[in-house]
Amino acid sequence: MKKLALLLALLVIPALIFAGGKQEAAKQAGPRTVTITVWARANNVEHWRADAAVEAAKLLNEELKKEGKQITVVVKADYSNPPWGDYKKKFTMAADAGEGPDIICSGHEDVPVWAQAGYIMPLANSVSEIQGMYPEFKDVFDSLWNAGMWHGKIWAVPQDTEARPMFFSKTKLKELGWSDKQIAELPDKIKNGEFTLDDMINTAKEAIAKGVVKPGYGYWHRPRKGGDFLQYYVSYGGYLYDPEQDKLVLVKDALEKWYAFQRKCVTSGITPKNYIGTEWKIWHDTVSHNKVLFWNGGIWQWADWKVNYLNGDEDFLFKNVGYALQPSGIRGKKGNTLSHPLVYMVTTEKASGHKDRDLVIRLLAKMTTKEINTKHAVESTHLGILKSQMDYKPYKDSKFLSDVTYMLNYNWYQPNHSGYSVWFDIVWNGMTAAENGEKTPKEAVESVVKQLKLELGDSIIIK
Amino acid sequence: MKEKKEATETKKLSTRLEWFWFLFPSLLLIVLFFFLPVIITIFVSGTNMSSSTGFNNWKWIGLDNYKMIAIHPETPKHLWLTVKYVAVTLVFFNVGMALVISLITTHISQGAGFFFRALWLLPRITPTVIYVMMWKFLGANAPYGVINQLFVQPLGFTPQDWVPAASFLFIVLVNGYIGASFGMIIFTSAIEAIPKDIMIASLVDGASFMQRVRYVILPYIKWPLLFVTTYQTLSLMTSFEQILVLTNGEFNTEVWSLWAYHRALNNYWGNFQWGFGNALAAVLVVIGIILGIIYMRYFKFGELVQEPKIET
Repeated sequence: MKKLALLLALLVIPALIFAGGKQEAAKQAGPRTVTITVWARANNVEHWRADAAVEAAKLLNEELKKEGKQITVVVKADYSNPPWGDYKKKFTMAADAGEGPDIICSGHEDVPVWAQAGYIMPLANSVSEIQGMYPEFKDVFDSLWNAGMWHGKIWAVPQDTEARPMFFSKTKLKELGWSDKQIAELPDKIKNGEFTLDDMINTAKEAIAKGVVKPGYGYWHRPRKGGDFLQYYVSYGGYLYDPEQDKLVLVKDALEKWYAFQRKCVTSGITPKNYIGTEWKIWHDTVSHNKVLFWNGGIWQWADWKVNYLNGDEDFLFKNVGYALQPSGIRGKKGNTLSHPLVYMVTTEKASGHKDRDLVIRLLAKMTTKEINTKHAVESTHLGILKSQMDYKPYKDSKFLSDVTYMLNYNWYQPNHSGYSVWFDIVWNGMTAAENGEKTPKEAVESVVKQLKLELGDSIIIK
Repeated sequence: MKEKKEATETKKLSTRLEWFWFLFPSLLLIVLFFFLPVIITIFVSGTNMSSSTGFNNWKWIGLDNYKMIAIHPETPKHLWLTVKYVAVTLVFFNVGMALVISLITTHISQGAGFFFRALWLLPRITPTVIYVMMWKFLGANAPYGVINQLFVQPLGFTPQDWVPAASFLFIVLVNGYIGASFGMIIFTSAIEAIPKDIMIASLVDGASFMQRVRYVILPYIKWPLLFVTTYQTLSLMTSFEQILVLTNGEFNTEVWSLWAYHRALNNYWGNFQWGFGNALAAVLVVIGIILGIIYMRYFKFGELVQEPKIET
C-alpha cells in the first residue's frame, strides 16, 4: 500500500509541476502585469524622486498599448528620509537577500560599491551607446553621465544634480557698510578668486566687532558630516582621485591648510566653539532667519527653508540671502562647488528577484523627461539634468535655479571608487579633531596619512 | 523479569536526562543568540567582506583585520575611552547610584520608596530617541538649550552647546540614568529579602545605618552585586545606541562598540566594512569573556553558589 502511494506521488507531483509550468507559460503569453518598485531617499519636497516613476508608468503603459503589447506596468514608489547610512544599509541587505527594488535612487558614489557586489547592472558600454538607447537619454547633459560611469561602463541614469553655494546675508553686509554694488559683485569676485576664504573670515570678524551679528554667527558651515567640507580642501588645491591610476589621492599641504581654516573659524570667533553636531533644525532655523553672515549649504535647502521654515515666504529669502560659489583659499584661484548627482540604478535580476530589466530601463527613460524632472527640480530646488530643461518655461521661471545654474561650470564630483567611504571617514575625523582643537592641523594630517596608508594600502596616493 | 529490568533502565535514563530537559530551553537560547552570533562574528572577521564584496565575492584574509586593529592609530583612543566610560558609568551610576537609591528607598516609608524608584524608571521606559532628544535640548546652544536659558545666560556666562563641550559627562549621564534603574530593582529586592530579624537585631545591637549597610546588607547582597556588576560591565561595553543618537561618536565619544557599528553598518558613504567591523566586535567578545571570568573569581562565585552550611 505504502509503495503504491509512493509511486502515485512520484507520478502526480512532476505532472503537477509540469502543468504549473505550462500555466506559467500561458500566463506569459497573455496579458500580464509587471510591478516595478522604486526606492528613493527624499523629504517632503523631494518626493518626485520616487513619484516620477508613477507618472512615467502612465506614459509607458500608453506606449505599450499602442504597440499592442499586453503588458501593464504598475509602479510601487517608496520614499523616506532616513540618514544616508541607514538608507544604504537597507538597500544592501535587501539586495543581498534578492528582495531589493528594481530601481534604487542614491548617490553616484554607490555605483562602484554596488556594481562590484553584483547588486546593480551596467546599462551601456559608453555614453554614446546609452544616448542611442532612448531619445530621453540623449537629452541628458553629457557631463552628467560621468557621474554614473565606472570601469568604462554606464551604470546609472542621472536623477538630479545640485550646487553647494556659500550663502551670505545681503542685509547684514549692508549693515556692515557694503554698498549694493559691492554686494551684487560678491558672487563674481568669489568666482574669480578675488574674495578668498581669508577675506570671508576677516569680513565676519568685522561684522562681529561692529555688532552686526552675534559672536559665533559670522560663519556657519554644515553642522554635520557631509561632502561639503571637501570644497575647502579643493579650495586649497587638493583633489581626491587620480582617474588614470584609479586611485584615491590625498594632498597633504591642501589638507593641512583646510584643517587650519576650520580651526581658525573657531579661534577667530566667527564659528561657535563645539559647533559640529548642532541639530539640523536649529541650523536651518538660524540661517533661514537671517541671523548668520556667511554659511555654506546646498541649493536644495532653499526649498526646505521656504516651505518648512518660512511658511512659503521666498521673497524673504531673495531680500536677505545671496549665494555664490565657495571661495577659494588661494587668491586668484577660481571658486568651486561640489555637485553630488543622485542617480537611478537598475538592480540585477538576482538582487531584485524580478526579470523584465528592459522594461525597467524603458521606465527610467520615461522618467527622464523635462516635464517630470522639472517638477522635481522646481519643487525641491535641484538643478535640471536635461538640455531641453534650460529652455522649458516652468524651469526658466524659477529665478533661484536660473541664478545658480552657472555654478555647474565650476563644479566637481566625488570619485566613484569603492575605497572612498574609508577615505572620507578618516579625513572627516581628522577635520573634526582639528576644528575642535583636539589636535593641531599638522597632527591631524599626520594621523590621517597613517590611517589612509594602513586601511587603503595601494589604493591611495599621498602627495 | 526482562521487561521490568528494561523499565527500570528507561527510568534511570530519563532520570539521568532530567537535568538536560530542565536546561534545554536556556541552552537553546544561549546557542541561538550567543554561540551562533559569536561564531558568525569570528568567521566574518576573518574575511574582507564589505558592501562592495557583498555576501558572495569576499575573500578569506585570516588575521589581517586583527593585525590592522593592533597597529591602527585610533585603537588606543577608542580603547581608553571605552575603559573610562564603562568604569565611570558603572561605579557612579549602574552600581553606585543603584545601590544608593536602593538603600535610601528601603529605609524610608514604603510609599515614598516606591514613588522614587518609579521616578528612576522613567529614563528606562522612555523611547531612546525621545530621551536623548531631551538631553540634547537640555544642553543645546542659546536660545534653545535649557541649561543656557536658565543658568548660563542669567549668570552672565557665555552660552555654548554643552553636549560637545562636556561630551564625556553627557554620555555618562545619559547612560547612567538609564543604567541605574536596573541595579536599583535587583538591589532593592535583595535588601527586602534579607530576613527582618537580622535587620532588626543589628539595630538592637546598636549598629548605625552605615554599620548596618557595611556589616549586614552588603554581605547579604554580594551575589546580586556580582550579577549587576558583571552584567552592567558587559552591557556598557557593548551598548552604544544612546551615544549614537546623542553624538554619533563625535567629540571623542566613539566607544569601541560604536566604532565597530560604524565600520560594519553605518559609514557615511555606504561601503560598510563588515569584516573589519566584526573583528572589532570579536575583540569585545573576548574582553567580555575575560572580564566575566575575572569577576567570578574576584567575587568567589564558587562559594556563592554553594549550598548554605546552615539554614538561615
